[in-house]
Amino acid sequence: MTALQLTLAIIKPHVIKNPFSLEAIRNIIVSSNFKVVKSKRKHITPDEAEMFYEEHMHKFFYNRLITFMTSGPSDVYILAKENAIKDWRTLMGPTKVYKAQFEARESIRGKYGFTDTRNATHGSDSPETAKREIGIFFPEFDYEGWFKTEEPKFHHNLKLDKMNFVHVTDNR
Amino acid sequence: MRHFKQMFSKKYLSFAGLQFSRGVKRKYPINPDHVNELPVFQYATSKQNYRRVFAWGNAQTGALGFKGLIDKDVMVLKCPKRLSFGEKFEVTNAAAGFGFSLFAVNSDTNVKLYGTGLNTDSQIGYHEIRKGFPLEVVFYPQPISLPIKDPTKTKIKKIAAGRAHSVVLTDEGVFTMGNNSYGQCGRKIIENEDYIRSNTIHHIQNINNKEIIDIECGQDHSLFITADGSVYSCGWGADGQTGLGHFKNSDCLSKINGDIENEKIVKISCRSDFVMALSEKGDVFGWGNTEYGQMSLPDDEQQLCHPTHIKMLQGHGKFKSVASAGSFCLAANENGEVFTWGYGLLGKNDFQPESKVVQVFCGLYHAAAVTNYGDLYIWGRNKSGCLGLGDEKDQSFPLKVCLAGHVKKVYCGIDHTIALCKPFI
Repeated sequence: MTALQLTLAIIKPHVIKNPFSLEAIRNIIVSSNFKVVKSKRKHITPDEAEMFYEEHMHKFFYNRLITFMTSGPSDVYILAKENAIKDWRTLMGPTKVYKAQFEARESIRGKYGFTDTRNATHGSDSPETAKREIGIFFPEFDYEGWFKTEEPKFHHNLKLDKMNFVHVTDNR
Repeated sequence: MRHFKQMFSKKYLSFAGLQFSRGVKRKYPINPDHVNELPVFQYATSKQNYRRVFAWGNAQTGALGFKGLIDKDVMVLKCPKRLSFGEKFEVTNAAAGFGFSLFAVNSDTNVKLYGTGLNTDSQIGYHEIRKGFPLEVVFYPQPISLPIKDPTKTKIKKIAAGRAHSVVLTDEGVFTMGNNSYGQCGRKIIENEDYIRSNTIHHIQNINNKEIIDIECGQDHSLFITADGSVYSCGWGADGQTGLGHFKNSDCLSKINGDIENEKIVKISCRSDFVMALSEKGDVFGWGNTEYGQMSLPDDEQQLCHPTHIKMLQGHGKFKSVASAGSFCLAANENGEVFTWGYGLLGKNDFQPESKVVQVFCGLYHAAAVTNYGDLYIWGRNKSGCLGLGDEKDQSFPLKVCLAGHVKKVYCGIDHTIALCKPFI
């Protein structure tokens, strides 16, 4: 059995304001065979956003990104799948939504993004960043420990708790 | 009724018979003067102010305001459909936000405004079926009561809608409602405000004692024109879209200077983060996000916080109408020539030679032009069938939309469109 990989996904504030888009994205996540390990609705603080996007610190869009991400509640998920990082980024489509309108119209960003900033979702770009990003939003989550104890359980007998949008292991 | 009776009278029938059977001997000789006595049938003309309302595009959010669609699980309307709401009320204005719509009606009460669609930030007012449980979505137009002092005299002059906020211009000033997380409603930002429950309708009577005469909403900022042609703004400034010379949020209305400081601005257009302003002289100015070549800036800069004259339009005549989409721009001059630039399906094509474009409009990814004949031409990205052409295929050149009326105004959202039309007769 191939080992699972973890990635951090954020559903950005403007999607949370459209229950139909949120529902559709959640359906895409589940039907694409991602397992939702952790899930939380949270209003990202400026400190968290600055830490999260520190690599973009000197880019022209940095201030725009921070003010957008802190403008309302977001959904933050830890997703698990074989090749989770690559698969989630493929599902999301190109970063720039205006381009995605023509290049990847069926992708999440093509369908539910508005503009290049309000681009619907975020996904980690490598296992190292996934670990770092999970640490920012889920400080209580034991990244190494999960692979030792939880990972095997996530291969079978999973149930989706629709209310909290998280997969729970069914131990019966 | 008189002419109907006459039509079926014997006299009439015999008269009609003459036309087709010459030479037949008649019992009653025909009097040719009788023709002049016949009444002329005239169709009743529609009232001057009556507007047919058509809507099309994404039906899922309820933004189209059709009562029956939700039960039938219709996700998109690919062709324009007439809204019965427009028959019950005299719709004077409308606005297409992102997933919601607003309609202004002629009325003597406080209820002059109706909203339908997404309402997660009370951008279309507070609606509940059970006390304490506000509705996040409304599927057909619901009344919004504005705190108007003199409801019999005051009228709604214009409505504008952003991503999750609405601005209403009345004779008593401006009312704003909905999301204020960037200060786009022109009031103090309250941290972690629960917009769906707070339901604050903010009133701005005037700016420095100057009457507000026009309004426009970007996605997360608002713009106001005062009687003297100055422009004021509030809201998200991270791309410079507030034009205030900085990139910060602004939660009170401030005057925009730059190149428009001494100009009389008559129109402003913005659907996303690039703003276009048209002066009385017919010059066009721009500011905000310019990542898609809306303006070419030195050093390849992509954000502009000072209003700047768009020099490349110089020498192309006096401009009459402008529209700024997400990644492209439109401008129409007095000769009816339309210029487009930026990124997207720009619709390069010649219109009929005798028709002239008089107004241009745009959504985030689609564009529209109305001609002197009242025809609506549309092109661009056909998200959820918002072009109204009967399919969901993108349209790279302007095509006429089939509408039963002269198009007066068009309102474009992300994935839906509304048109106000005057009946042909």
